[in-house]
Amino acid sequence: MAKMKFLCDEERCIECNACVTACKNEHEVPWGVNRRRVVTLDDGVPGEKSISVACMHCTDAPCQAVCPVDCFYTTDDGVVLHDKDMCIGCGYCFYACPFGAPQYPQEGAFGSRGKMDKCTFCAGGPEEDHSHEELEKYGRNRLAEGKLPLCAEMCSTKSLLAGDGDVVSELFRNRVVRRQGRQEAWGWDTAYNVK
Amino acid sequence: MMRVFFLITVMISLSACYEDAEITLHQAGVYKGKLDTHSQTAEQREAILAKRFGQVQTDR
Repeated sequence: MAKMKFLCDEERCIECNACVTACKNEHEVPWGVNRRRVVTLDDGVPGEKSISVACMHCTDAPCQAVCPVDCFYTTDDGVVLHDKDMCIGCGYCFYACPFGAPQYPQEGAFGSRGKMDKCTFCAGGPEEDHSHEELEKYGRNRLAEGKLPLCAEMCSTKSLLAGDGDVVSELFRNRVVRRQGRQEAWGWDTAYNVK
Repeated sequence: MMRVFFLITVMISLSACYEDAEITLHQAGVYKGKLDTHSQTAEQREAILAKRFGQVQTDR
């Protein structure tokens, strides 16, 4: 059975933020909530690297373990989702998550936290597939449409990969072998016939 | 006498510095929300998504 995973190849990421924009647009994510973001390491220093980060849909998800109302579940595809009707917005999952994935919309006049929102791997939620409720609460369910997450599909350098863990790791392994430890300038093989 | 008292005081104060090295491990509870139903089986989805991956995610 497929286990869906994200992989960001930091050698290819050009910090264009297209993945962030694609995600926000596809799911109409509210203002102040970022399901995905691009982080730059050693910004401004030669050799800086950027990576696109969102919920990694962990195999043994810490958010799932600490949730006091047990609103998290893992689908057959290995995607970690949650039921927003049960979420109480306590923030425990935010403290447990090593990637800072859980986000909380601001609700009310005193800035109280709303229900947690995070990347769904474009797999919607526990509502009926393609229903208005699912779209409203979790965003579009692209997996049910036979499509992969838009952030990865939109990535122009194919830095961000999303799919079955075995297939993704095989693709990445081939890239690493091809690079042979050298830094890879994306497109040079094609454009300049560099081997 | 003072020396013994000093030693006892030091031992008591040091014993108060004990730190529990055991960490709290949490096990995931049983999901209590709505059941997530899919129109296709996991195998069907896997085949469809594998095909899609070949179309849009492969290296150029």
